[in-house]
Amino acid sequence: MDNFIKIEDIPLDLVKIKADGMSHIFIRNLRLCSEQCEKRPCTYYCPTGVFYWDDDAMKIQITYSRCVECGACPYGCPHGNIDWRFPAGGYGVLYRYG
Amino acid sequence: MGNDRYDAVVVGAGPAGSSAALTMAENNMSVLLLERGEYPGAKNVFGGTIYRQPTEIIVPAFWEEAPLERPITSEELWLLDNDSAVKIGFTGLRFAKPPYNKFTALRSKFDRWLADRAQKAGAHLVTNALVKDLIYEEYGARNRKVVGVLLGSGDRIYSDIVILAEGVTGNLAEIAGLRKKITPDSLTLYVKEILELPSDKIEERFNLEKGEGAILGMVGYPSSGAIGKGAVFTNKDSISIMVGAYLNQIIEKGLNPFMLMQRLKSHPIIKRLIEGAKTIEFQAHTIPKGGYKQIPRLSAPGLMVTGDAAVMIVGRRGTDLAMLAGKFAGETAAQAKAAHNFSEPLAAYDKKVSSSFFMHDIKAHRGTKDYYRRYPDADFLLTKAANDMAYEYFTVDMLPFNQKFEKIIGKIANLQPLPKTLADVYQGFFHWGVF
Repeated sequence: MDNFIKIEDIPLDLVKIKADGMSHIFIRNLRLCSEQCEKRPCTYYCPTGVFYWDDDAMKIQITYSRCVECGACPYGCPHGNIDWRFPAGGYGVLYRYG
Repeated sequence: MGNDRYDAVVVGAGPAGSSAALTMAENNMSVLLLERGEYPGAKNVFGGTIYRQPTEIIVPAFWEEAPLERPITSEELWLLDNDSAVKIGFTGLRFAKPPYNKFTALRSKFDRWLADRAQKAGAHLVTNALVKDLIYEEYGARNRKVVGVLLGSGDRIYSDIVILAEGVTGNLAEIAGLRKKITPDSLTLYVKEILELPSDKIEERFNLEKGEGAILGMVGYPSSGAIGKGAVFTNKDSISIMVGAYLNQIIEKGLNPFMLMQRLKSHPIIKRLIEGAKTIEFQAHTIPKGGYKQIPRLSAPGLMVTGDAAVMIVGRRGTDLAMLAGKFAGETAAQAKAAHNFSEPLAAYDKKVSSSFFMHDIKAHRGTKDYYRRYPDADFLLTKAANDMAYEYFTVDMLPFNQKFEKIIGKIANLQPLPKTLADVYQGFFHWGVF
């Protein structure tokens, strides 16, 4: 079993997500991630890989269009640094089976 | 929608919200049911089944019209190890006939149906409608009452009562000061895949007659050392496979939920159940497992909170408790309307919930979280012990039975002190709750 998760393996092509024009996920304090967060768990506990660490920019990048609104990120962040809101009405994930 | 006014506004058209709306509409109240998704069920996931007894209180003989998948006749709990499984199970064919016991269902379809029932009873459903905030009105010296909601569109809708049924991901109950902040040790995170498989293949693999359903719950291997579970459910033409664990443990152990899913799907015993099945949807959701201590204050003047937003979860039960609690909220609203008082009488809802059978269970299980904090390895050790024992027991060898028995006990004693194993078994069965 390969322990390395390739983000493109997550079958998001099977999930209908109607992405809004603007993000509904924000990092409250960008410097906190680089200076105080050692493990950056958001990069692995998010089931759809919304968060990744950008080494060049030294910050967490957010692909909000991958979000399926599971509700984990704001509570899992050890620094309470993720500001997750509901996408605007009608946007976001549209499960066909649920 | 302008400056509409209703007797009640319900936030969220899941099982709790639709049940509340249905109950109020049946009591001749004007009800607005708001759903942020494009349709009810668009955001909803569960790893459960629809229970007949509680659900028929909401819609009598619902099984004749609701979009259900299969009535469950066979249920197993597997203590799953790397290449073996100790199975505990029950098959009851009585459950294949009306009035049945429980059903698998797909929530996007089921929730849509239940919201439709609320609509048919007279509730006004508006989708694509996100509630941003509550509107308050001051009264007396320092009292305030909820008098409506503010939508994302900027529209304000006024009502005598607002019922929050916005699920685990909503935070209006927290903003309103009813619910404490959720912590990662009180949330579980699950991922689920729907796998397409022809119905005859499902029946063959799960040893079912046409139309019957089976569910498997699993501990041990699936959650890879974290406290969690895996499960396989049979739908009509698909299988639901899910796995998850407490969020704090996923984080501590560096687990990725999608990886847990891949790992479970490639387990040699699970693999053969899902062979050839094609994934048609990937889902993820959290469950508020905070238990009794996390249950919020359920009402405030003009406001009630219900369902997952109110942490109405015990063991595997949640969807049914949401429907029942939603109905309680709806009934309380109808009584408040009859009394023309929308503040103090809402406390009757708290009383109804606290004297319910499920609050009794939620209270009885309040130690579960602490148990898992104290013994995070209990499920893993039990699974290991049971499988080691079973391998030894079922291996045909050349030892007299008394020596074989001693060997088995020796194996268990090597794992950890025997009294601890016995305590794990006892605690395990108690805290796993409803089998």
